[in-house]
Amino acid sequence: MGHKDIKKYILHCSVFMMACFLCLFGYIVYLQVIAAPSLAANPMNRRGNAALDIVRGSILDINGRELAKSSQPGERSYPYGEIMAPVTGYLGEAIGSDGIESVAGSDLTGQSQQLQMLGPIGQAMQSTQGNNVKLTVDADIQQLAYDALGSHRGAVLVMNAETGAIIAMVSKPAVDPTDVESNWKSLTAREDSPLLNRATQGLYPPGSTIKVLIADAALDEKVTDLNEKFNCNGKLQIGNEYIGESHGAVHGNNLTLKDALTESCNVTFGTLAMRMHGKGLENAFDRFGFTTPINSEFNESTCHLPKFSSLGDGDTAQVGIGQGETLVTPLRMAMLASAYVNQGKVMVPYLVEEVISPVGLVIRKASPSKWMEVTSDKRANIIGGFMENVVTNGTGGAAAVSGVRVIGKTGTAENSQGADHGWFIGAAELPKGKIAFCIIVENSGGGGAVAAPIARQIITALRDR
Amino acid sequence: MKTKSLLLVAVDFLIMFAGLGIIMLNQYPNIDYSPVPWALGAAVMGFAIQLFLVKGRYSSDIWVFPMVLFFSSLGIIMLARLKPILCVPQLRWLMIGMAVMLGVLYFSRQLKNMMQYQYILGICTLVVLCLSLVFGVEIGGSKNWLVLGPISVQPSEFGKILLVLFLAAFLSDHGEMLNAAKRKFLFLDLPPIRFIAPLLVIWGIAILMFVVQRDLGSALLFFCMAVFMTYMGTGSKSYVFIAMLFFGLGAAVSYAFFSHVQVRFNIWLDPWADPAGQAYQVVQSLFAFAAGGVWGTGFTHGHPGLIPEVHTDFIFSAVAEELGLLGCTVIMMVYVMLFYRGIMIAMSCKKELHTLVAAGFSIALFTQAFIIIAGVTKFLPLTGITLPFISYGGSSMVSGFIMIGLLLSLSKKEKVHGA
Repeated sequence: MGHKDIKKYILHCSVFMMACFLCLFGYIVYLQVIAAPSLAANPMNRRGNAALDIVRGSILDINGRELAKSSQPGERSYPYGEIMAPVTGYLGEAIGSDGIESVAGSDLTGQSQQLQMLGPIGQAMQSTQGNNVKLTVDADIQQLAYDALGSHRGAVLVMNAETGAIIAMVSKPAVDPTDVESNWKSLTAREDSPLLNRATQGLYPPGSTIKVLIADAALDEKVTDLNEKFNCNGKLQIGNEYIGESHGAVHGNNLTLKDALTESCNVTFGTLAMRMHGKGLENAFDRFGFTTPINSEFNESTCHLPKFSSLGDGDTAQVGIGQGETLVTPLRMAMLASAYVNQGKVMVPYLVEEVISPVGLVIRKASPSKWMEVTSDKRANIIGGFMENVVTNGTGGAAAVSGVRVIGKTGTAENSQGADHGWFIGAAELPKGKIAFCIIVENSGGGGAVAAPIARQIITALRDR
Repeated sequence: MKTKSLLLVAVDFLIMFAGLGIIMLNQYPNIDYSPVPWALGAAVMGFAIQLFLVKGRYSSDIWVFPMVLFFSSLGIIMLARLKPILCVPQLRWLMIGMAVMLGVLYFSRQLKNMMQYQYILGICTLVVLCLSLVFGVEIGGSKNWLVLGPISVQPSEFGKILLVLFLAAFLSDHGEMLNAAKRKFLFLDLPPIRFIAPLLVIWGIAILMFVVQRDLGSALLFFCMAVFMTYMGTGSKSYVFIAMLFFGLGAAVSYAFFSHVQVRFNIWLDPWADPAGQAYQVVQSLFAFAAGGVWGTGFTHGHPGLIPEVHTDFIFSAVAEELGLLGCTVIMMVYVMLFYRGIMIAMSCKKELHTLVAAGFSIALFTQAFIIIAGVTKFLPLTGITLPFISYGGSSMVSGFIMIGLLLSLSKKEKVHGA
């Protein structure tokens, strides 16, 4: 047992410890490089929202007016209060966030993924001020639509049909986002759901507005043509049940498809739905994207469609007039209307126009893109023409604006919660571009009387700018 | 060449002043200048000591001290960022540590003589460890503190120095006998019980610390040290095997009977079973590593404050978050270099005793760094222990500098009389 042996044993121990250290180092590399993304995404990880030392950026409307602003870390005010609440959403330590505050959260705190990848170099570029987010929303139109709803609950959605930019997104009732966290318990318990963004999350039976889709589908499935004459005696008998016309109207026996849409004839559209059966209806709703998520800046509710193939004749006819189990969101109905002024194409709807750094540099700009081609250019013209007739000669007369081509469709949705909901969906060709809109006024009765005049106000305001 | 080592010291203090500067700029306009005089004092002291070392009167190694200063500087700026109130005390401890190291170097001849009194060292080790067993006060979940008036001391930090010294003395003296007088038992070579008794006592105390004081980190370190020292002194794999058996039994029994051991082990097996409760600290630490990534978030830009007790045991997680994998790599590399220098010093010692002491200290510091880094990354079950020279702690700082002082004095090439 000599000194040499001891040195040999020391080397053994050293090599062993070095090997352990090397393994540990390898594990740390794994932790910080490979496992890092999944750990960062863990919901227990509060680091993403821990940006308490950063002054959150402002949310601006298309004209640069402030919809949400912060003057110091942790403080946030919303100059438009409940009017813009469905757009801005809310923010709270304990309640999380919603709306743009949620969707554009990392932009508003300035903590972009790219900057984080750069580490300290990114921090050098990171200011204590988050980025401003400029939206496509126009505060004037939003305000107008909000006021136009009056004391009714409901939603208004206005979008640019050619780009998908959302111009207004109103939901009523709403709550000033500054008050949400302190009243969280009572707000979430309220029967009128003020935190629900009705424009994207409200699910309603579409009523007669769905007839534009049914007309399109009937032509596509070739169960009718433009020359067929329908006969309406005010009642469509299906076994023991029947579908009637509203107000007991009788549309006569010389109805073309165009006339039927203009007069919103239930008998005709119930008949068309039954001719298409389950498969034809299913194809139509698929084609118009009702089963495809938008996958963008909206926290939307999924539209509820019945199992078309298992419906009896009576329920199939109900689909044709937008009653029964079918439930849709106002956003989807505005998108449906937009196809008829945009050559059958629907654009991806979006809210964030630009992300602007604190020094005014545009970091990101929205690029409008096509979502899907729901119908042909030719048929869009045909149905668009029918819808124009609805405004000029039919139930949507209240939406007519001089000097502007307005197309539309009224709807009246029966529901279990009292008086009918009034719908008006449509589009307008303004000098500065084409818009599509959807208005729903809860428990207001027919859409032609209450919802269509709101559309008229919006179109007039946009025409006069 | 030798004077160039001053450049390393300059780099160390550059790190310290740059870090403190960043923190002060962040404080603007209410800047707290209180650490500045202390930092300047530490810098002056650091340069003076390195100049003194370069002269080579008491030591022949000039690389170890700059590495230690690197850790200390890093620790101080991390503390200034995490717990500003502890920055000045830590600077004070750094200066005390350096002064103690100078003292050790100055009295190195006497100390080297004292290293030979193995039984006195053995008794001292026992006394120091029993002190905390008997009079220990619980601070932060571990009952391993002695409160002496205004200061609290962790005896185990000093116990580990005595342990290395005692084992080195015992093994260099009895190594031959431990190997010669063996009896075969199964496939194990066993020495007579009276030779192995001191080792059994040390192992037993380690287990006691484990159980009574809840100081799992120190217990693990003591145990590893005892095993490493025994192997280095005798080269006997039988001892290692017996020790492992002992450890396995001890761990199994503690797991069966003591809930705090069970908790630690279960957290290690599956931290996601209770991430908001018992595993909170470890889970937050893992998040810190993830947040850091390769480059880190940048100094002062992370959120290490989300980890409880980040300034002591979990300081490495804060480094990982703010300085990233790069920072981790540099720190681990410097620990490897320190270890390498230590082993080189051991290899060049002329006496077996000195070789064992130098190797023991080197392995002790390296193993301690390994245990705590492995703990905060969930590589091994977490056992609270300080990261040498970086974590906050006076006892740990001073005992670290004592070890470095002894290591440096052992590097001094001296004439061997009659050997």
